[in-house]
Amino acid sequence: MQRLLEFIFRFREYSALSAFTIISLIMMNLGNTTDLGGYRSIVVGGIGWMQSAFSWIPNPIALKNENAALRELNLQLSDERAKIRQSIIENAKLRKLLEFKKSSGIPLISADIVGKTTTEARNYATINRGEDDGVDVGMPVVTDAGLVGLVVGTSDGYSVIRLLINRESRIAGKIQRSRIDGILIWDGEEALTMKNIPKSYDVQVGDEVITSSYSNRYPPNIKIGTVMETRDDGTSLFRKILVKPSVNFLTLEQVFVMKLLPNPQRILLERDNNKVGKPMIPQIKAR
Amino acid sequence: MTEFQERSFAQSWYNLRYVIYGITALMLALAHVIMLNLISVSGITPDLLTILVVWIALREGQFTGIIAGFLCGLLFDLVSYDVIGTNALAKTFAGFIAGFFYKEKNNEYTLGSLYFILAILASSFVHNLIYFFFYIRPTEMTFWNFFFRYGIASTLYTTVAALFPMLVKSRNVQN
Repeated sequence: MQRLLEFIFRFREYSALSAFTIISLIMMNLGNTTDLGGYRSIVVGGIGWMQSAFSWIPNPIALKNENAALRELNLQLSDERAKIRQSIIENAKLRKLLEFKKSSGIPLISADIVGKTTTEARNYATINRGEDDGVDVGMPVVTDAGLVGLVVGTSDGYSVIRLLINRESRIAGKIQRSRIDGILIWDGEEALTMKNIPKSYDVQVGDEVITSSYSNRYPPNIKIGTVMETRDDGTSLFRKILVKPSVNFLTLEQVFVMKLLPNPQRILLERDNNKVGKPMIPQIKAR
Repeated sequence: MTEFQERSFAQSWYNLRYVIYGITALMLALAHVIMLNLISVSGITPDLLTILVVWIALREGQFTGIIAGFLCGLLFDLVSYDVIGTNALAKTFAGFIAGFFYKEKNNEYTLGSLYFILAILASSFVHNLIYFFFYIRPTEMTFWNFFFRYGIASTLYTTVAALFPMLVKSRNVQN
């Protein structure tokens, strides 16, 4: 024992390094970013409060980006305004003809972004609405432009949103025009990626991508983005679709939390079904 | 103030240095999460805690550097939304690497010289190598692609940021 202690003391740097490496690896295996319960709830509240307190400091780079985005949006809006007028008339006629039921809207909670971490792939945002306002973990977050992300942590007055451009995001999406389904993930690039889409499937640059009804996390038909590129792998039967998110995460300031939680009955049924080895939804492994 | 009083005052500050390191680490970790977006360039920010870890390692030695690295990393894991342990491991190694640059008799001069910048460069590189390896492990991302995009850029930005404390220290040592 004495000799062992002497050995450890003699090589104390290497002993400390080994001990801390083992402890860190154990913590990594136990920890999970989505597990924000307990002490992390306090951290969410504390950091949210501080981010809110410092939000008055102007960020010139963000303002520049926002300016550019607003100019672009202004241009698009004036172009779309004329189209929308025509569409409203046409839509009214079609709705009457087909006797479409007016879809009941999901209640929304408006929130301001008080803190954002969009650096080095740590893509989260903090909003000034929490459990007191009815926000709960698992609720989707949107803007008028499209899907923003998912609430992953809450405190009384603040919540943390995991943005779409996050390594843990998995979204069941659908090409709106051709109704092709797939899973969207983020590869650390500017765009989202839809993988394993057969080359024979009809996907074109400019196609809009929306949330799929296969998703048990997000309601269907919310815009995710637009197809910006399709990449063929010469040897494979599949191709990769790059989707540009419709939301500009750099200029994000206001969002809406959808008061909608995944249906627990559906999750249980799908989980039980997957356990016996019969996947209920082929192709899709939506979370 | 007599010479004795001055000496005992300096001694008590010296004894309190670990508390000062702790408070500095807490402030830097919070600043990193709350305000560092203001100086981010294309999503890249300097790692202020790694600079602190290297500073401690060059001032106190490799053993203290390793402990400081682990504690600073753990602190950052707690205030950010990272997987607990990722930063702790990366910063432990940063402290370990920085320890090789420790010169017992010239530690104050080392901090005010380009030797400090070299230590930052090496430690930050190893830190980012380990951090991004574990960070992208549960994903389908390509490690080298991600590392060259974020890791190298972050290393360089951290090294540039380390010039400020180095220049301040250099001026103090000269005075």
